[in-house]
Amino acid sequence: MSRVKLALSLAAASVWYRRRVLALVCLTLTLSVALLLGIQYVRTEIRQSFTSTINGTDLIVGARSGQLNLLLYTVFHIGDATNNIRWSTYQALEDDPRIDWVIPISLGDSYRGYRVVATNDQFYQRFQFGNDRSLVLAEGKWFGDLLDVVLGAGVAQRLDHQLGEEIVLSHGGGRISFANHDQLPFRIAGILEPTGTPVDQAVYISLAAMEAMHVGWESGVGLPGRTLSETEARQRTFTPEAITAAFLGLKQPVLTFQVQRELNQSRAEPLSAILPGVALSELWRTMGQFERALLAISAFVVVTSLVGLAAVLLTLQAQRQREVAILRATGASPGLIASLYTLECVGLALVACVLAVVLGAGLIAVISPWLLETYGFSLPLRGLDAAEWGLLAAVPVAALLVSLLPALSTWRSSRRLGFGAGDPG
Amino acid sequence: MIDTSTMTPKSPAGSPPDTPAVQVRALRYRWPGRANELTFPDLTLARGEHLFVHGPSGTGKSTFLSLLAGMLLPSGGELQVLGRTLTTERAGRRDQFRADHLGVIFQQFNLVPYLSALGNVTLPCRLSKTRLARTTPSLEAAAEALLEQLAIPGSHRHHSVQNLSIGQQQRVAAARALIGAPELILADEPTSALDADNRDRFLDLLLGMAAERRSSVIFVSHDRALARHFHHQLGLGGQP
Repeated sequence: MSRVKLALSLAAASVWYRRRVLALVCLTLTLSVALLLGIQYVRTEIRQSFTSTINGTDLIVGARSGQLNLLLYTVFHIGDATNNIRWSTYQALEDDPRIDWVIPISLGDSYRGYRVVATNDQFYQRFQFGNDRSLVLAEGKWFGDLLDVVLGAGVAQRLDHQLGEEIVLSHGGGRISFANHDQLPFRIAGILEPTGTPVDQAVYISLAAMEAMHVGWESGVGLPGRTLSETEARQRTFTPEAITAAFLGLKQPVLTFQVQRELNQSRAEPLSAILPGVALSELWRTMGQFERALLAISAFVVVTSLVGLAAVLLTLQAQRQREVAILRATGASPGLIASLYTLECVGLALVACVLAVVLGAGLIAVISPWLLETYGFSLPLRGLDAAEWGLLAAVPVAALLVSLLPALSTWRSSRRLGFGAGDPG
Repeated sequence: MIDTSTMTPKSPAGSPPDTPAVQVRALRYRWPGRANELTFPDLTLARGEHLFVHGPSGTGKSTFLSLLAGMLLPSGGELQVLGRTLTTERAGRRDQFRADHLGVIFQQFNLVPYLSALGNVTLPCRLSKTRLARTTPSLEAAAEALLEQLAIPGSHRHHSVQNLSIGQQQRVAAARALIGAPELILADEPTSALDADNRDRFLDLLLGMAAERRSSVIFVSHDRALARHFHHQLGLGGQP
């Protein structure tokens, strides 16, 4: 016991004595551990936020296509629908007694690069994300008038829009469009709170407005004289012929597979019904390769700094010959002397781990509000999970292995050490 | 080239206990990779007596001390230190023996650079319970008393040994060798870096305090003028 205490106090004194050199090595190690831990932490958070992009929706129904495609264009606003589904199909879904609610969405237009989603008030009431979080309006109200538009938080922030401003939507997707629906300008009625999901990156109008905009656009461009003016539009009522997709909520989740199978085998129209959770995890598996590669790279950075630490310890070894000779002559065993290297190395690694955690927590605390504000990505400060503790614990273990290099060589040389520095004479 | 030399007995101080401090018979050592073998003169040193070993460079003075300290194993001959045949003992036992019974002083760079003067002095007692038990009233007090006797200013005791002069460093090393009253003190030219005044003062202090503790001293130097301070002297390399 007293030997352990002696070794610890000698190692501590020795590290303190060489603090200038070792502080730099420790800094390198701290930064690399912070990088490793940070990547793992953010990875977990991204996965968490990714898989909670949509919640509470039991099925997504669209025209027949692959499940990833359907998920991408309905939830992530990436890519386009292969086809629409008929209004009658939507009505049949609404009438189905097993189905609690249906959110219809109609896509196809854009506003300065952001998707226009035509829907109804079910979207505002029923759509959920994260841990059963519902949409909340930051200001204004959900669209009531035909020409009302509600902006996602990201759109409002990036384009610096205020309530009451008039905006003109464009025909088709893309950031720059030459075909604008300028005969029917929209008024901003509401702005949503940030959600950290693709909901922030879209604008929302009513299904009727979508129809009204496209009267006279059957050929793909607005034909003068056939498009509607605002007054003409207000005098008519619009019933869509088709929608792009629908989100379904079932009364009993246990019926999900039954309804899904029925929809997939529907004779009236070729449909695809997908489980958003399953599709999301399949999508994550595809993207997960990259983040795993990133984690592996950061692990190599840690290994590199540990090798650097070993190199510094080996260099210091030359300076420590006298000290080793003194310790040997006073009766210290080669094992005690070798243990100094191991203790110093593991001690530095532990200090680096603590500093890395403090550094990482500080950094997250500082940038987390900014991330949510700017990118709608929520990065909350939380305790480390098992995987992160595992990574952290691997660092001192790796340091222990690395320290065996100088420790063993010192152990071997100090066994043969004679009086003084061991030089003959 | 080296053969047995004579031991010139002077007045022995104190009566020796049962076994001699050191007994050497036909001791030989060969450095790995070297053709010639070093041979050492026979020697019997009674407990509490002080021996001066001299000889030119290359005659194996430090090697002799390494063998006595049990840090090197001889290639032949007999060696007994405090009645123990170190040559047959395992490395760990020899290390512990050294910690328990030997004090050592080197030519220079005697101190662990990252310990304070006090930390250096107390080091042997942290490696040996035997020596710790002999410090009275406490380890700290014994170390302070030694440093006081050796005229190390109080202000220097708790600070880095880097700021000490060479003479002070050697005296701190002497305190480390003396603490816990080891039976045998081995000194390898500890005065070679000191001027004449400091050297004589150092020798007087070391030998006087060793005598108080009834410790035997084996002191190696090429400077034969120092021999007058010792009970016996021994020449290596065929010197008288």
